[in-house]
Amino acid sequence: MTLASISIISAALVLFGVFYLILVNLNYNLNILSQQPKMQVYCLSELTDEQVNAVKTEIDSNKYIDSITVVSKKDAFEQLKKYLDNDKTAEGGANILEGYDDSFLNVSFIIKVKNPEDSGVVATELRSLAGVENVVYSQQTIDMITQVANWVRIISMVLIGVLLFISLLIISNTIKLTVFARRKEINIMKYIGATDWFIRWPFIYEGIFIGIIGAVMAFLMVAYLYSFIEPKLSNNLVSFGSGFSIVKFQSVWGTLALFYAGVSIVIGASGSVMSIRKHLKV
Amino acid sequence: MKVVEFIDVSKKYPNGTVALKGINLKINKGDFAFIVGSSGSGKSTLLKLLMKEETATEGEVMVNGYQLSTLEPKQIPYLRREMGVVFQDFRLLPNKTVYENVAFAMEITECLPKEIRRQVPMSLALVGLSRKANAYPHQLSGGEQQRVAIARSLVNNPALLIADEPTGNLDPENSWEIIRFLTEVNQRGTTVIIATHEKTIVDAMKKRVIAIDKGRITRDQQKGLYGDEDTEYKIYS
Repeated sequence: MTLASISIISAALVLFGVFYLILVNLNYNLNILSQQPKMQVYCLSELTDEQVNAVKTEIDSNKYIDSITVVSKKDAFEQLKKYLDNDKTAEGGANILEGYDDSFLNVSFIIKVKNPEDSGVVATELRSLAGVENVVYSQQTIDMITQVANWVRIISMVLIGVLLFISLLIISNTIKLTVFARRKEINIMKYIGATDWFIRWPFIYEGIFIGIIGAVMAFLMVAYLYSFIEPKLSNNLVSFGSGFSIVKFQSVWGTLALFYAGVSIVIGASGSVMSIRKHLKV
Repeated sequence: MKVVEFIDVSKKYPNGTVALKGINLKINKGDFAFIVGSSGSGKSTLLKLLMKEETATEGEVMVNGYQLSTLEPKQIPYLRREMGVVFQDFRLLPNKTVYENVAFAMEITECLPKEIRRQVPMSLALVGLSRKANAYPHQLSGGEQQRVAIARSLVNNPALLIADEPTGNLDPENSWEIIRFLTEVNQRGTTVIIATHEKTIVDAMKKRVIAIDKGRITRDQQKGLYGDEDTEYKIYS
């Protein structure tokens, strides 16, 4: 019975941990995305300066656009160098660019659209301009991820709520067995003047103990699972591009552990209090 | 000084049974009183009211200054520390030694360990069980177990000792020994109330006898006898 309680609270917390980590990662990537420019227009790399200027004038005349910033080939090269140096030192960092100059890169314009909802229209219009290679904007992705995150949040809350409720009942039942085995002792304690709290504490400790053991097991499982998945996923994300990445476990385990401790203590203690109430009425 | 007082007390259980009707009773400090009556007479209800295990439906019960009708549940443990209780079935904790059983009654009142170490041996000496301090209840005879229960009930120096059929599970020899200890306790100043069926003991002791029948006090007599159906009850008060 004790084993059953430990497993069920452990299962509930593992599930919570999984959903929590998914949410953390979704939010993390949302953040990355929303820090990126609203929209970036890449010109064909073979365009001359005059042609680039012509494109810029065209874009300027678009009534949906708020502001426009030019990213020259030189700027783009510097950014790339910096990015490689910071994030890809393992693969050789900025040295990988040795022998290259900025000629293979495109001039691009970073555009701020007045109204994010118009992004779609603007993007189609700009794509049709002569000399434009590609238009990239992140709003679509942001919207999609936000929606996914919302669903994950709702589903996980319901599931976790149900599981925690079941854990509460099972812990309460386990303690009920101990209380039943010791009901004579409780009765004697009541007659010789023990306060209810004096009688309750040992049972509450037992409930908390069950909760914490369950939480420790859940934490180890989640940690193992994440350390197993993280490297695989982060490789996949790199090939997926556009700056997606996965949160390192080191940066989330503190919050997770704190939550696990809090929930297991509260569930364990309240399960015990529930189960002993009846026997205190003497 | 009154230790116990019942003022027009009636008790009706939720199922409709009237267990006590119009009980008026005073027990003074230092008294030694037997409560006699057949099963179902209301004897146990009277003791339950004293311990606030039940609450009177009418009237007021006073115990050592506590007004029980308005006593909050939180206060009940403190009321019970004013009294020692001895039961027919001893109610010792089976997994604790004699010493631990007696010490336990002090631990629950959050006494200092130093005080516990001083008081418990004194209490055990009083009932003549110092040498059995490390034995477990199942290693003792019934009489010895009841003596442990008496030691436990006395260890907090209560003003009042309530014994519910204390000799019910004992042979005559052990019964007399228990009564002898309870008398000794009384002589040291503790008020003693004993609910019992034992005619021989009540008759031989010639102490105060409170007889209860069908929820009423039918007799309250100093130096009384157990009495039986043929006897004319005279009301003493």
